[in-house]
Amino acid sequence: MRTRPGASTADVHALEHEQFLEEVHSFEFWFNAVEGYLSGLTWGHRPDTVEVPLANGDRESLITVLCNYCVGETAALEGASGLIAIAPNRLAKVFLATQVADEGRHLEVFHHRLRDLGVADPEAEVERRASRSLLLFRRRLLELVAGKDWEAAIFAQNVILEALEFAVFHSHAQDADPVTAEVLRNVIKDERRHIGFGENELGRRLAGSPHIRARLGQTKKEMDHLVLDALEETARLIGLARDEKDRLCRLYLESVARLGFA
Amino acid sequence: MTDPLELPEGAGEAPRRRYVLDETGFDEVPKKYRRFYRKWRGAGDELAPNEVVCPVCKVVIRSTRELRPGDRVYCMPCMSRLVVVRSETGMLEARVAY
Repeated sequence: MRTRPGASTADVHALEHEQFLEEVHSFEFWFNAVEGYLSGLTWGHRPDTVEVPLANGDRESLITVLCNYCVGETAALEGASGLIAIAPNRLAKVFLATQVADEGRHLEVFHHRLRDLGVADPEAEVERRASRSLLLFRRRLLELVAGKDWEAAIFAQNVILEALEFAVFHSHAQDADPVTAEVLRNVIKDERRHIGFGENELGRRLAGSPHIRARLGQTKKEMDHLVLDALEETARLIGLARDEKDRLCRLYLESVARLGFA
Repeated sequence: MTDPLELPEGAGEAPRRRYVLDETGFDEVPKKYRRFYRKWRGAGDELAPNEVVCPVCKVVIRSTRELRPGDRVYCMPCMSRLVVVRSETGMLEARVAY
């Protein structure tokens, strides 16, 4: 670990910035981080977490919500894997490779949760119940990736989509049944890296190339209503109170506001 | 930005309090870094003078010494570099330094 003079070698805050970036974008860091919270889990939760019976209406709502989480995770999985080819440097490519692994795991655990809830064919169920807004979001994200628009695609995926997921999963985990709550809490731990990567990557790019701001503003305008519609729909299904829903909207808007998009 | 790690301790200001950091169960970074972070327990969570909340991912960042405006800290869980500032309410906050 390279550190500043006089600083303890064990002090993370004493790392040079370049060294910090090298460390946190590495597979080595990813592996040692996820090992801390995924070790011993089966399909995203402890094997001994007790399943509580759900009333029919609650089960139906949870299935729809999980189907939409699968759409979001599929979008991020496809988006992140496509972005590796156009990532501007080695650190971004390696980080995205770890994100692909995270998104694949998320999709897998949500699918497995659907099976736990009695869904015989999760893929068909996702197809049937998917939110139109999220499907449109996914299509637009993949167009940005195919168009090799690095900044707009990272903005859509790692800022807009991940900020929405981070806020919604966090809120949902507060009131979900024990198994779903545990799955969500472990997914959130991965999401911290994804939102941080997006915000920091774009923050650095905007500082160096302010002209991209107008293009990203257009992307936000285009995507905002899709994520806010999806948030509205999920909030209704998981029974969020109005003030909690407003808090989630604020959390989402704060993350884009920090980059200068009010 | 002033980086106090490059300044001699106590240059014109009171010496900083030092803190021994113990692990608090935070498990989202490799083991050797875990003591520098803890979970934030929400609005009622009182921060110690060596702690700030990461505005990006809402984890509490901890330092081995008292934090002051201008200090630079890292949030490893979300990979952000932050600068400590004093807010309008007089509390210490962290701002992202891209």
